[in-house]
Amino acid sequence: MFRHDTPAEASFRTEVRSWLEANLPGSLRDRTTRPPPVELMPWYQTLSRKGWIAPHWPRQHGGMGATLNEQIVMTEELARIGAPHLPVQGLNHIGPILMEFGSEAQQKKHLPPIIDGSVIWAQGYSEPGAGSDLASLATRATLNGDHFVVKGSKIWTTWGHHSDWMFALVRTDPDAQPRHAGISFILIDLHSPGIRIRPIVTIAGDDEFAEVFFDDVVVPAENLVGKLNDGWRIANALLGHERLGTSNPQFALQALERIKVMARATGIIADPAFQDRLAAASINVTALSAMFSHAVELTNNERSLGPESSVVKIFGSELLQSLNELLIEAAGGHAAMEEPVATNAGVVDVAVPFLFSRRVTIYGGSSEIQRNVLARRVLNLPA
Amino acid sequence: MELNLTSEQGLLRDSAAKFIGAAGPKIARKFRDSDHSFAPQRLREAGELGWLGILVPESAGGLGLGLTELALVLEQAGRGLVCEPIGLAAISAAALGFAPKPLPLLSRVMTGDALVVPALQERAHGDDPLEPSTEATGTGTTLQLTGQKMFVCADGADGFLVSASGRDGPVLCFVARDALGCTLQPAETVDGRRLAALYLDQTPADLVSPYPSSRDAVDALYNLSLVALSAELLGVMEEAQRITLDYLRIRKQFGKLIGSFQALQHQAANIYLRTEAVRSLIFQVAGNNEPWRIDPAMAAAAKAKASEDALFVTEACIQLHGAIGFTDEHDIGLYLKRAMLLSSLMGNAAAQRRRYVAIAGLTA
Repeated sequence: MFRHDTPAEASFRTEVRSWLEANLPGSLRDRTTRPPPVELMPWYQTLSRKGWIAPHWPRQHGGMGATLNEQIVMTEELARIGAPHLPVQGLNHIGPILMEFGSEAQQKKHLPPIIDGSVIWAQGYSEPGAGSDLASLATRATLNGDHFVVKGSKIWTTWGHHSDWMFALVRTDPDAQPRHAGISFILIDLHSPGIRIRPIVTIAGDDEFAEVFFDDVVVPAENLVGKLNDGWRIANALLGHERLGTSNPQFALQALERIKVMARATGIIADPAFQDRLAAASINVTALSAMFSHAVELTNNERSLGPESSVVKIFGSELLQSLNELLIEAAGGHAAMEEPVATNAGVVDVAVPFLFSRRVTIYGGSSEIQRNVLARRVLNLPA
Repeated sequence: MELNLTSEQGLLRDSAAKFIGAAGPKIARKFRDSDHSFAPQRLREAGELGWLGILVPESAGGLGLGLTELALVLEQAGRGLVCEPIGLAAISAAALGFAPKPLPLLSRVMTGDALVVPALQERAHGDDPLEPSTEATGTGTTLQLTGQKMFVCADGADGFLVSASGRDGPVLCFVARDALGCTLQPAETVDGRRLAALYLDQTPADLVSPYPSSRDAVDALYNLSLVALSAELLGVMEEAQRITLDYLRIRKQFGKLIGSFQALQHQAANIYLRTEAVRSLIFQVAGNNEPWRIDPAMAAAAKAKASEDALFVTEACIQLHGAIGFTDEHDIGLYLKRAMLLSSLMGNAAAQRRRYVAIAGLTA
């Protein structure tokens, strides 16, 4: 990469590398979709016991309080060994949000179980009628004394059927204008009565998403984060974290390794036209790493990055997609096959990561919505 | 995205921005239509501000700063279409300053009283900077060079830093403009400046042998020039973007400001995206490399990306202007032409990707 390790970073890198080699089970390496909780959570808990589950969290909340460069070293080493994608809703989304907006009681109750992996979180934003137009969401939460009554449904909920808690955007004032002024941010125990969850199978064959139905679900009023009807501001701060999280260069670095292995196996690596495209892709991965560390550096200084985070989301997701396009090109005839391809450098999944990558420019706000955000809120173009 | 700068770096950027206030399209047009490529007085002003010695160690009379500071100044030079060769002078001064025994010329290069520029390129495509076909003969610190360099920014130069193949590999030499057997053949660039072919015939040259070997000196100056050109390209992109966004905010068609149309907004977002990616990349490379030992893969990556994206951005800016964009009277075309010049120098995007393939081992 563009950086030479300092002696301290180099020794940290050696420590991370040898620990990962010794502790990450072979069955969890180079997985192209997220393994189910029964396989993944023991690994999460192993990382947690080592104290490495939350490099970016401050020590007071159980994180590592790692420097930016240490975080990047970890990212690179996790990519190098092909570590699986962890569930991030707790670590990257609600955790930082509670640190910024949550009450002390909420932090005390919810942060430790994220660190130790005993609770899995889901995000409740999109609805069947509110995708790109998120502010039109209709799931109602009616305040009734000391509790809300929630009615409606959420969709595209990552790991919804594996989760214990959901942080959700709900409509608490149906008459508010503009519409986003009537939205609140609440925490819902998914084991409450009145909840039904349906997994959704994707074109990649995994069931990463779910639809969640709420039928008069009772949620204690103390589960409101921030003020009533002030959820949109929190949602936006969280979207900043989410956009950043989905652009972690770990995924692009892994995709790049997969392309190189496949291109050597099929022999296309010797083709200068392919080499040129591979160089362009590799240079863009370097640019993504640069952009990601730049954004993380700003986030570390200011807590949440503004609408500029959209730029990292677009770049990271579109790059991941183009890398997977290059992967199926490198794979040639193997690209149509569902089963992974055996090469002399190991087994390489082709079709699944390609199909998986179609979602990354859609979830977390589609590329088109992100460009709208940039045009209006960063470039100040007229409405 | 804002850069995380120290207060000194912020001040440096502000002073560079102030310097370019007196430059810009109007001045660039003036030089385009004259016999002079730049104003020697302005180069001396840059020298007074310390910029020409920005990378030169303090022990040799320079500011002893790093690549981030160089990039901050050159980014502004790009924004202002500055005609004075500040970047070329500064990296040449760095090469002279890193020599164990700096050449006497160094102090005059740092004040802007003398101009030395690199002459490393030999072909339009496919140069291997470490295997120049220019030959160096002789021994000791005075050599004779024979060969040909291309695309040299020779206007106003008193001498050149020339790469050549010696008995033990590549060497970096200083050749005086008026040295025996040194001839120049200038030709006009698209933006009305001049680049020259430099012919050397048994031309006497002084060996410049900085840190730690002469081979490394050639490599180091080459990589340094890639980063310098990339930083200037970033500035070109930024200013072209600024001009174009202003236009989108005032131009009306169909009774509406054209900046309100989604197709144009999305292209504006694409321009911003390319510019931000280049900015992050250049300042990460600058912040994480020593000026005299830049990782060659990173230098190639920066130049490849900046060259490609600067052309994308300035081309898109012309499209967003509509017909006025392709007229000579509108300034936006000057940014495309500056991007064409800077992106082609020292290896364009395709050439740098080719090098990157070799350095990063993306081969069978």
